Amino acid sequence: MSLPQAHQSTLAWRQANRAKAVPGRTIVMTVRRCEGPGKLGWFESFKIPVEPNENVISCLQKIAANPVTADGKETTPVVWDSGCLEEVCGACTMVINGTVRQSCSCLIDEYAPEEGDEITLEPMSKFPVIRDLWVDRARLFNSLKRVRGWVPIDSTAALGPGPKEDQATQSTRYAISECMSCGCCLEACPQFLLEGDEDAWDSAFIGAHAIAQARLFNLHGTGKNLAPERLDELMGPGGVADCGNAQNCVKVCPKGVPLTESIGAMGRGVTMHAVTRFFKGK
Amino acid sequence: MGLAGAKTVSDRQSFFERHSFLLRRLHSLSGIVPIGVFLIAHLTTNSSLAWGRFALRGEGEGMSIAQGGVKYFQEEVSYINEQVPHLLLIEVTLWVSIAFHAILGVYYATTGKGNTAHYPHMDNWRYSLQRISGYLGIAFIFYHVATLRWGWTWLVPGGTQWSHHFSASTLAAAIQGSPEGWTALGVAVALLYFAGITLLVFHFANGLWTAAITWGLTVSVPAQKRWGLVCFGLGAGLMLAAWSSLGAAFMVDPQEARATEAEMILHEHGPEELQRIENKLEGRPPADEHANAGGEG
Repeated sequence: MSLPQAHQSTLAWRQANRAKAVPGRTIVMTVRRCEGPGKLGWFESFKIPVEPNENVISCLQKIAANPVTADGKETTPVVWDSGCLEEVCGACTMVINGTVRQSCSCLIDEYAPEEGDEITLEPMSKFPVIRDLWVDRARLFNSLKRVRGWVPIDSTAALGPGPKEDQATQSTRYAISECMSCGCCLEACPQFLLEGDEDAWDSAFIGAHAIAQARLFNLHGTGKNLAPERLDELMGPGGVADCGNAQNCVKVCPKGVPLTESIGAMGRGVTMHAVTRFFKGK
Repeated sequence: MGLAGAKTVSDRQSFFERHSFLLRRLHSLSGIVPIGVFLIAHLTTNSSLAWGRFALRGEGEGMSIAQGGVKYFQEEVSYINEQVPHLLLIEVTLWVSIAFHAILGVYYATTGKGNTAHYPHMDNWRYSLQRISGYLGIAFIFYHVATLRWGWTWLVPGGTQWSHHFSASTLAAAIQGSPEGWTALGVAVALLYFAGITLLVFHFANGLWTAAITWGLTVSVPAQKRWGLVCFGLGAGLMLAAWSSLGAAFMVDPQEARATEAEMILHEHGPEELQRIENKLEGRPPADEHANAGGEG
């Protein structure tokens, strides 16, 4: 398969395809299959007649309704994960034609505009496969626990109105708060690699999403109470210093979260934290 | 199991894990100071082989560009080797820093896996190039230091031994393959040098750019772009210095350069000292008892 992968993600390429999409065509969807965790994968192709404005998920539904491969062999329905179908939950993230994105917002017209065009679907490679296109993203959430990605409230009593937030901080925080924990930034990151051993998760690279969330909560009036603990975690093994500045994360982020700026900001945070701790800490 | 037997998190962590932050920052720092600062000084000095004629002012009257370059370069090298204090301490500091930066760098590079095939962005290419230039740079620096500093002449085509008294002529002979000029193996060495210095200058300029993010100096995207321009400018300047050093070493005639250098020693220290240095370099015993005793007293 030689796909023009370098151009797949460009908006112009997708728009041009959409403009020339042939109505009533049949496309080929090649899916990487896998029967379960740790098992070897293989590819299966399906011929799918498509209608205008179809997306990858609706094609997968057609395969589920009629699981017969392109060469007429009966097979099992393809398994995938999805939720909102409007690119805000992140569940249907997969690798499409070699690059990661949400499959619900991936339009067939943009990727396979002509008769017989092929789309390749693979599960994300940085998470263990549960089955077919469905992966276990537990490590992603473990990273959020590592940075204590929440606002601590230690009582059930009414605490009154929250702290005031200025407009500039609000703007910065809003952009980061759009993160939907989909995993695109991790899939595209050359420093974040598949780690099957759960015990290694706490010392392996934490990932851009968690670094950004640490910044989000460190900037929060009440959330900043945990700032030293978040910075301690980001100073540790697999912390912000493990970033290799390939900056793929920010380019594949479907929500435009300022990931690389957050990495810079947290780099500054841990530098100051380390100096403070050296001179003032225990 | 009682609590007394329980291991704490820090007990289970390796040395690298317990000191990961400090080691990462020392790795970053060592690339800038002393290695990067030395690189700037080293390339500036070496490029004087190309532009030295114009810095000689009146002294260079009647000299060709090559001849003037040889003279100025030799003056610089003599200054470093004969007048800079604590030269050995400086050298050892550099060797230790380079070894530290190299060993940790290789270890860090193995924690990642490049993916430019799927994400062919410029930044991602730089990520991969930073690691490739690191690996190849280590090999080049080792060859460079081993042959021209530690005198492993068996690795030099033609077996030229570099001498700080005849800095330009022995450098040119070592790179061109023989004291008489170019040989086929010399071309191979020259290409190795071209690749080595080009990769290392890139490694420094790009490392300076990423270091600013690592330390938190540049945060916003515009700030990263601005600092990127500064690093690009510095990198371009150093690349020019590196290429002109090498270009000059390619073009200098080793024999003419040798004559210029011998003239300088003769002028500065007299014929006996010249004889002594040449004998030492050729591995001959001192010419006679009188010269030996009367030399430096």
